[in-house]
Amino acid sequence: MTSTTDLFNERLNRIRTAVELRKPDRVPIVPLGDSFCANHLGEKVSDFCTIPKLSNEIMLKSFTSLGEVDGLQHVSFYVHMLSSIWLSKLKIPGRDLPDDELWQVDEVELMKIEDYDFIIEKGYNTFLGEYYMTRLDNLGEKLNPFLESFPGAIKATIDLGIVPFSPAIVTIPYENFCGGRSMVAFMRDLYRIPDKVQAAMDVAIEDIVNNTRQLLQTVKPIAIWVGGWRAASEFLAPHLWQRFVWPYYKRIIEVVVEEGVIPVLHFDSDWTRDLEYLRELPKAKCIFSPDGMTDIFKAKEILDGHMCIMGDVPAAMLTLGSPEEVSEYSKRLINEIGPSGFILAQGCDIPPNAKPENVKAMIDAVKL
Amino acid sequence: MVSSLSLNMADLKEDLVFAEITEQLNKNVPAEEIFKELQLGMEIIGERYQSQQYYLSELIMAADIFKNAAKNLQDKFQSTDKKIATIVLGTVSGDIHDIGKDIVSLIFTTNGFEVIDLGVDVPIQKFIDAIREHKPEFVGISCLLTTAFDNMKKTIETIKEEGLGSNVKILIGGGPVDKGTSNYVGADEVCEDAPSGVEIAKKLLEVK
Repeated sequence: MTSTTDLFNERLNRIRTAVELRKPDRVPIVPLGDSFCANHLGEKVSDFCTIPKLSNEIMLKSFTSLGEVDGLQHVSFYVHMLSSIWLSKLKIPGRDLPDDELWQVDEVELMKIEDYDFIIEKGYNTFLGEYYMTRLDNLGEKLNPFLESFPGAIKATIDLGIVPFSPAIVTIPYENFCGGRSMVAFMRDLYRIPDKVQAAMDVAIEDIVNNTRQLLQTVKPIAIWVGGWRAASEFLAPHLWQRFVWPYYKRIIEVVVEEGVIPVLHFDSDWTRDLEYLRELPKAKCIFSPDGMTDIFKAKEILDGHMCIMGDVPAAMLTLGSPEEVSEYSKRLINEIGPSGFILAQGCDIPPNAKPENVKAMIDAVKL
Repeated sequence: MVSSLSLNMADLKEDLVFAEITEQLNKNVPAEEIFKELQLGMEIIGERYQSQQYYLSELIMAADIFKNAAKNLQDKFQSTDKKIATIVLGTVSGDIHDIGKDIVSLIFTTNGFEVIDLGVDVPIQKFIDAIREHKPEFVGISCLLTTAFDNMKKTIETIKEEGLGSNVKILIGGGPVDKGTSNYVGADEVCEDAPSGVEIAKKLLEVK
């Protein structure tokens, strides 16, 4: 009988082989699900999203009951972590919303235009310290339960022979600023005060790089999400994207690779226009993970032989489709994007109201 | 021939747009004419968006310039131009996302539609009341969350049950919304983005 350690090593090896663009014994499956798992097992979303240890237990129980996964992208969930990415307040189930509704980012102009000057003069970490305390109701302290439960969640996952693949998130100043300023105000800033925004980004990225190195050296994950949401090509003119987005991703991704960690480019929305830029990144070291909006088949054409692709069973298919449709699409991905350099997963996150039989069909597809 | 004001609007040259509006007002050009030139600029912006010369970043900037410019003009209007149609618009109950819906509101407004914007997280009854009050040709329902599909379906079912479905066309849109969603919720049309929504609406009205 295979021990869980052997199973863990076998699965990790399968994933690493895919990242290195070699052909594994079969395509790995590394999904991500949070509120879906709570709904699947009838757990209150309000508890799931505010008790990190519970979220880990529910995620492991949900996925192991649906089939055999090689890894999980995240192994626990904590709603307040979202505030640290988008510098925004949240509407939280059980507090601002009914117990079983999904949390939502409450985007208002919390970061002011004069904050750019503060960042330029005092540094980004100083700014964040003040911002977390005064505008996000002492967010720093609120994050403690997640940090305290984190090692236990990693261990519980490994104990089941499952790879805790990319359990943390970093991103670029654009995403932080866009969330803090709110998208409309931020895009106006890009037009009206571009030099100031860039100066603040240039200061911020240095602190983000240092924070990321520290995080990676402490946690030692196998991979980490480098997240992209509002920075997607579909939202921005090329001249803005080339100035405010790409140089910062390139910097942070190269730092992650230098630290021996796999950057998962978790890129939501449509990035098709700028896929060529991803070829500037180190070969066979990164994963491109689109959410169903980028043309994954075009991504294969462009990134073939350069970067592993992970994805992208679409949210709407997992919610409204049938197991047969999910199975057929998954097989198409395995054959056309894989079998080398490909990891099967949902696009972005399994939606809260996905049908469990559809998620099972996706997980089982790697064995067909 | 396209006027320089329309072109400056289309090129997002904010300072030049405001300078030219002031100059034209000083020359007693009717506010309605100036407004039409801005609308023409917005039409060019819509075309550039659809041909991927422009992106959301430019639509947002255009929206801001247009809104500020229109504010200066509207109180000077002599007559009220007849709108080509009315659309009742909102993000469905259970969803608080507003950016896509706001862009749709702007693009429809600048294309001559009267937009009744109900905001976000709109309860079904609010849609029903607005349809009864404004008698629109279109209802636009947006959502970004797949969890809101069921509320979208319920909203559309209720509109039909209340006997209001035959006089309005229901347009839906938003990140995860596709043809499959449309079949599920019972909408008339799916709009991939704001300019294509305008195109669909105009086609249904049989106007240019």
